[in-house]
Amino acid sequence: MKRRDFLKQSTLASSLFFIPGFLKAFENSPPNNFGYKRLVMIQLAGGNDGLNTIVPFTNDDYYRSRPKIALQKNDLIPVSDSLGFHSSLLPLKNLYDQGNLTVINNVGYPNPDRSHFRSTDIWQTASNSNQYWQTGWVGRYLDAHGSNAYNAIEIDDSLSLLMKGENINGIATQNPTNLFKLSQDPYFKSVLNHYNDEHLSEHNLGYLYKTMIDAKSSSKYIFEKNNIASNNTTYPNNQFANQLKTTAKLINSGLETRVFFSSLGGFDTHANQLNSQKRLLDVYATSIEAFINDLKKQGTFNDTLIVTFSEFGRRVKENAGNGTDHGAASNVFIIGNQLKKQGFYNDLASLSDLDSNGDLKYTVDFRTIYASILQNWLAVNDEKILQQKFNTLDFI
Amino acid sequence: MKTKQLQHLFLRAGFGITPQLANDLSKKNRKKVVDFLFTTSTFQPLEMDLSDFSIYTQEYMKDKANSMEFQRKSNEKIRDYNKLWIERLANSETLLREKMTLFWANHFVCKNQNIYFVQQYNNTLRKNALGNFGDFVKEISKEPAMLNYLNSRQNRKKQPNENFARELMELFTLGVGNYSEKEVKESARAFTGYSYNFDGAFTIAKYHHDEGLKTFFDETGNFTGDDIIDIILKQQQCARFICEKIYRYFVNDKVNENHLDELTTVFYKDYNIEKLMKFLFLKDWFYDAEHIGTKIKSPIELLVGMQKMVPFSFQDTKDVQKIQRLLGQVLLDPPNVAGWKGGKNWIDSNTIILRLKLPSILLSNAEISIKEKGEFEDSFEKYHASNKNQKDFAKVTVDWDFFEESFKNTSFDEMKSLFLITAPNEGTETYLSHLIKSSKREFCIQLMSLPEYQIC
Repeated sequence: MKRRDFLKQSTLASSLFFIPGFLKAFENSPPNNFGYKRLVMIQLAGGNDGLNTIVPFTNDDYYRSRPKIALQKNDLIPVSDSLGFHSSLLPLKNLYDQGNLTVINNVGYPNPDRSHFRSTDIWQTASNSNQYWQTGWVGRYLDAHGSNAYNAIEIDDSLSLLMKGENINGIATQNPTNLFKLSQDPYFKSVLNHYNDEHLSEHNLGYLYKTMIDAKSSSKYIFEKNNIASNNTTYPNNQFANQLKTTAKLINSGLETRVFFSSLGGFDTHANQLNSQKRLLDVYATSIEAFINDLKKQGTFNDTLIVTFSEFGRRVKENAGNGTDHGAASNVFIIGNQLKKQGFYNDLASLSDLDSNGDLKYTVDFRTIYASILQNWLAVNDEKILQQKFNTLDFI
Repeated sequence: MKTKQLQHLFLRAGFGITPQLANDLSKKNRKKVVDFLFTTSTFQPLEMDLSDFSIYTQEYMKDKANSMEFQRKSNEKIRDYNKLWIERLANSETLLREKMTLFWANHFVCKNQNIYFVQQYNNTLRKNALGNFGDFVKEISKEPAMLNYLNSRQNRKKQPNENFARELMELFTLGVGNYSEKEVKESARAFTGYSYNFDGAFTIAKYHHDEGLKTFFDETGNFTGDDIIDIILKQQQCARFICEKIYRYFVNDKVNENHLDELTTVFYKDYNIEKLMKFLFLKDWFYDAEHIGTKIKSPIELLVGMQKMVPFSFQDTKDVQKIQRLLGQVLLDPPNVAGWKGGKNWIDSNTIILRLKLPSILLSNAEISIKEKGEFEDSFEKYHASNKNQKDFAKVTVDWDFFEESFKNTSFDEMKSLFLITAPNEGTETYLSHLIKSSKREFCIQLMSLPEYQIC
């Protein structure tokens, strides 16, 4: 999709074309949910142990590598002859049964980095592992097709690299009311109302004004949309569920946001993994369940694609502390109502043919997933945004 | 020196200038002012009290539980050290050395979780900040924090790890594209066996060091790591790479090739950082209008710059951390080995809102006065009545007496000029002129809450 089409689809188009600058308030735009495709990215931060999430319960190597922390078949929710879901993932099993879940196994990248920060950067920028990029792939999507900060929203207090473009950034908000209040100081209002931008736009000062004007109108727009929307489902009481609750509210309000981003932390299970992972997966799955019910009730699930990833999986062999150390390839969950290939997209890689660190070898580059989403879901040129050509997969 | 030039110099070589200092130095010529910057920039290590850590001996840490306890407490200490560093930046008289230390910390980017190594590394940066670049690189290559950060300890004769060798050339000395993969491989061999002991002293594990011949930039020999660095220094590109970075940081995001040539020629002679900086600050073109007020302050420059004008201190270490995190720059915690990109990258919707709101949050209960001449504004009261979150944002002790004393002979117009290096936007200028100017404190908050204040 071209930038023009993006604007055309957007009900803001009229105001953007005829009013110079960013000063127009957007409160008059009616919700236009039809056919407006959205992406929700979720990071399980810390490195989720994919092998104990979807368990190869017939695999001897699995049990040999993990005498203490391997999960037994009767503790699992079996979905195929050889794979079972972690017992906390019953809501995901339901999605699986309804054809709303695709699991892509062994997702990673060449020369994997095992630092949380680096690997998160690599996943968020879509760079190679030896490149240090300063823009996220969602940020570059905004550069090419966005018009305002609210086109990509992170449910947090500060903005991740994922959401930062060269010329336009997304906006982060944990609490749209607080952000709104912070941005609407009467002093800012007066200063920005007096601002004239005749000859400054290319300089740093002009950029500061422009960003503040956009931030002010974006936070106002988000706040107002958030105020008129409601949730139709009861959510679990935890921070991650609250993030998804806010996301659902914003989606259901008809906000013109293409990409949402949330993360759930704590997956760095070097010690006593069994309990903590069980609890975290339960938080994840029950929150996702409420989120999807909420979207379904308000008719927005059909146009929402939810992608869950982690910066890396964990070592196949358990460590001495009843946990696992940083690994490499792992699984990615795709949730939606328009999936072409439902269930398991591919087989789990071999547990006997590991890399030199004893980690799963990747068979799917995570950027082929991005490329597929960009091309087939958001309908834009993936190569331009990823800055490399990748194959696309046919899950969507 | 003219006030604007003084301001420019002190924003770049430090974190801004107080009215007194501007007044004192205005009678001196450029040479004298620049000399002042250098003579005041003696080396004063930044050290914190670690006496309560004496229990963590090598013997004691052999126990895994003890070593984990050390790890946790060490991370707390690093946060305290971060606060201490910011206080140093705000209060120190050794302006230029501290600014250079900050610059080098984002050049030789490094992160570590051992407070002893962090402190040692930080002081190595500070000690060499104005010294000889070659000695500097060699010391950095032997710092435990760096050896750890770039996997030098895993770099062994039998299985070389190229991480340090690659970053040494790509990020620390030559820049990408100015060496080949062969140079990476050969130089990695020269750094094999580099290690450190419990006390943070550099050691070479003879068994792991590759004694064989290496060929590096057309020279062949049984090179050590230091030899490799010496060969790198012979490449003029190394001087140029550093000068370009200095130029972008201290002069302008956009590089003028002629100016860069001048700097490179000076620096390549002996890699003396002090000479280079002196040359730069004495140059006429450093004071050209096209360079003044064109850079976006880093979060630390913003935070410390405010403290220079209105001294304040945080009561809680957590608050200093929170503000740095929300603004996108936590000292001692860089995003990756390439460091912070700076410039426009500091700015997004969230950081710009916080940056503009920060002075009022920290200094005036989150309130920015909007009293205009001849009108009453009630939305102000209404807005501020409901801002509890903002008021509780951080606990700060403010020294307004210092501010009042230092600005007592400064007019409102002079204040505007001292706070804002660049002329305000026309509309903003008009708006400022409509505001009632009865309190210098209020006006100070108003000025610091403008986009123009983000510029240096």
